[in-house]
Amino acid sequence: MASNIEVEPGATKESVLIPSECLENFDHMSSSLEEIKSENNSSVGSTYEESNFVNSNTDNFEDAIDKEENGSTPEYDLGNSTEWTSKNKHIFVLSSAGKPIYSRHGNEDKLAWLFGVMQALVSNIQSSDDTLKSIHAGDTLFVFMNKKPLILVAVSKTGECVNQLTLQLNYVFNQITSMLTLTRLNKIYEQRQNYDLRRLLAGGERLIDHLLDFSEKEPAFFLGAVQCLPLASSVRDSISSAIIGACHKIKNLVFAILLAKNRLITLVRMKKYYLHPSDLHLIFNLVQSSESLKYSQHHWTPFCLPRFDASGFLYAHVSYLADDCQACLLLLTVERDVCDVLSEAKQKIVEKLRRNNCLEPINESIATPEETAVNAGFAEIRHYLYKCKSTAQFYQPSLAPPYSKEKMRLIEIYKRSNQQLHNTARPLKLIFERSANEAIFSWDTTAFELYVVFEPLIDIACAIDFVTKLLNWVKKREDKLFHLNAPTF
Amino acid sequence: MDNKKNIEIKNFFIFNSSYGAKENEEYKKILYYYPFGESTEIQIKNIGLVEGIVQFTETFRPSSYVSSLHTNKLRQLYFQPELNFWIVMTLSVPLVTKIKDSVSSNEYMEEDIQDNVYEAILSQAYYMYRLFWGTLEQTLVTGNADILRNRLDTFFNAYLKTVKLSNADILNLYGGIQYLPLDRQTFLKVQCFVNLLESSYGCIEEITFLYNEHVIWSGIEPNDMKVMYQYLIGMLLPANIETELQGGSMPRNSPFATLKRGRFITGPTNLKQAKTVGTVPRVYLFSNDCFKEHHLAVYRCLSATVCIFIKGDTNLTLELFKELDELINPRLSCVVAEIAEYCSKQIMPSITSGDTIPKFIYFNKINLAYKSTIHLDNKQTENSTCSKDSLKIMADMKDQNEFLGRAGESIVKTKNDYWVVGKNSNFREFYIVLQTKNANLIKISEEVKKLCDNELKGIFFHPF
Repeated sequence: MASNIEVEPGATKESVLIPSECLENFDHMSSSLEEIKSENNSSVGSTYEESNFVNSNTDNFEDAIDKEENGSTPEYDLGNSTEWTSKNKHIFVLSSAGKPIYSRHGNEDKLAWLFGVMQALVSNIQSSDDTLKSIHAGDTLFVFMNKKPLILVAVSKTGECVNQLTLQLNYVFNQITSMLTLTRLNKIYEQRQNYDLRRLLAGGERLIDHLLDFSEKEPAFFLGAVQCLPLASSVRDSISSAIIGACHKIKNLVFAILLAKNRLITLVRMKKYYLHPSDLHLIFNLVQSSESLKYSQHHWTPFCLPRFDASGFLYAHVSYLADDCQACLLLLTVERDVCDVLSEAKQKIVEKLRRNNCLEPINESIATPEETAVNAGFAEIRHYLYKCKSTAQFYQPSLAPPYSKEKMRLIEIYKRSNQQLHNTARPLKLIFERSANEAIFSWDTTAFELYVVFEPLIDIACAIDFVTKLLNWVKKREDKLFHLNAPTF
Repeated sequence: MDNKKNIEIKNFFIFNSSYGAKENEEYKKILYYYPFGESTEIQIKNIGLVEGIVQFTETFRPSSYVSSLHTNKLRQLYFQPELNFWIVMTLSVPLVTKIKDSVSSNEYMEEDIQDNVYEAILSQAYYMYRLFWGTLEQTLVTGNADILRNRLDTFFNAYLKTVKLSNADILNLYGGIQYLPLDRQTFLKVQCFVNLLESSYGCIEEITFLYNEHVIWSGIEPNDMKVMYQYLIGMLLPANIETELQGGSMPRNSPFATLKRGRFITGPTNLKQAKTVGTVPRVYLFSNDCFKEHHLAVYRCLSATVCIFIKGDTNLTLELFKELDELINPRLSCVVAEIAEYCSKQIMPSITSGDTIPKFIYFNKINLAYKSTIHLDNKQTENSTCSKDSLKIMADMKDQNEFLGRAGESIVKTKNDYWVVGKNSNFREFYIVLQTKNANLIKISEEVKKLCDNELKGIFFHPF
């Protein structure tokens, strides 16, 4: 079958993002900050000891008086708490010493005993030089991630597999890192094993909460890719050049990112430096979960991109373009005191975009939902995901019945297929599955991944025919659907 | 050079969580523990960990109790056959040690252990025990914990040696039975023989009739038959065929008569010389939630095996066995001859190259029947016509069956370019491995359709 399809929709020589394998190991982190600073002779000193943006109080390590030492927190009586037990996914974060840091549902203090049990399990297995990975009990899956200095646990009834839950835990870990930097996180626990990290993360729960919801319903996460806002390539190019024009003289500006409606519009980067999709997901998460950004002129915040460099902060200038254009611009730099310079640059960008009539196409694309597969002429295709591997970008049509009302079921279908293709020990190239509800075609090639959900009774020859046509359809529109140029400052 | 360490049983233990609640009495929980050399302290610690895990998981109200725990190096499987009784098996994850530039690195092959396959092995161990000793609780009611410990020791010390871990696959999941289909006439003859036996002796409750390793008639419940079949095929018959082969000098003295003459293989194996009835195993058959004790007398003649389930309260005498032998022997040899003749007519057109045989496994959940052209024998050896990976993919697929619902199919292409197809409908499952070069999805689905028509005529699959 591969022989009759030579198109590789969305492929390009140079990518704006680092190509990603969706479930790859996240441990690898590059160190870019030092390099940038030394190359550009940055005037700024070390950023590592920067105070945290979500908590402006400078912490004093000495004053930590543990809440439960005060001794008055009663245990949660879970026997009566059916609401708590019936949640379909719990996420817990604790320190290696068993101190509660985060619980998705319920109050961590009241669950302190449970955190204690989890820590005991992990350390018990650790004592025999082994690592606890997962526990399986009927519909409930427990996944443990021991990522020093933290322990992360997922308890899920969603049918997701170990790898997918591990991926989600990794995102939570990265989210915490993005607020503190890994260096700081390690230092804190080196100095005080019993430290209550919640004091530093105050306000950060919101980001984690949102990240969890976000990562559960967006294909971007398990695909390890981002979706672009459809725009004519000429418009996208002129937006990019507007940004380059306004910023190319600003020293140490690493990335400029424009996004809207959870879609990437453009990404301009410093030569040699690339952004990893998982870092970009954290940026999307930051923008999405901060409603207040819309009402303030701009926001200036330290933000660590764990895959880019987990050791230190970048500084993000975050603002919406204009009242009449709800696209969000992020300018990321290594300099901690250039907020004003960047505000100025932003103004220039907006003016330029307005002059070149770029705001209307953006607004128009934001307001226009993507076509459904059926409307695009694929009668028996209900929905699909196309991911171009080399650019880490994907495209999906609008939801159509029967999934408009059960999006989560569709996502589950995709997650399952994705997992089957990428099974660690027994990876597959192609899957065609048929149940009473739908027929699913999943295909992993060197260039792309494709997941198509068909009507359940489709004939196989017919399905193959649709797949070929679909790939050609995407190819024809690749200029619009994908960000094919990789502009640099 | 790469070095592979296979899957092994690290430990296997049985405990009752309601025992030894007092401090310093935890050892009372232990009912069986393998390996024997392990200190009581470690045994207690391991049991404590299991109890902790059970409690922890129950906090989240799972749909069923905890079934497995994965660590980097170990896999622990749990089975609670009766209230408060836990059977735990810990397996070491297969390990590949790679040596590169004189630096060795370990890679644990976690995905090589499929939970569903090894869970089946664990529960099978219990059901086998129960076949011979009844429920654990029963022993406690009629005896005491020490008697139970003794029985478990006797049984599992021997049983664990027979467990074959490294070649376990989807067949373990089924615990299926191979049947021999006969024409009406021949089947009726078997039936007549069975009925004659049953009606001649009030003490005979049930009879099961096998030819080679295939069941022709079984009077016991399918779930009992499942365990019984494993016992016969996996343990009793192989051991016996070996002694039959070793006694090769006998036929020379009386060439035909001895060969044709059947004999008991449990009980008095040599009736002429026997002074006692010998050992006749007791088995417990469970049906309708209650269990009945039986004596199991197994009679073998040529390729036929007749299992006679005699009421547990019957006083077994040598006379009884002699009478039975008189009754069975002449009739059985006739029936067997007819079956053999029927079978010889049915032999498939000879197949020359191994590649042309379609490779498939079929299983029917209703009568537990299975058929496999992938496994060349019943012994779980390396003898299979397709790669281990394709068998693993089948077990992966089976795990996904729930998702596909009551009827579904899946066709997958592996990285090595072979195809595995699974179909599931109407309580039947069908898995096929195809190694057609340069095939595509359309070709494969056509081939599968052809195969279904040829091999499974009359079996209803949804007409996709």
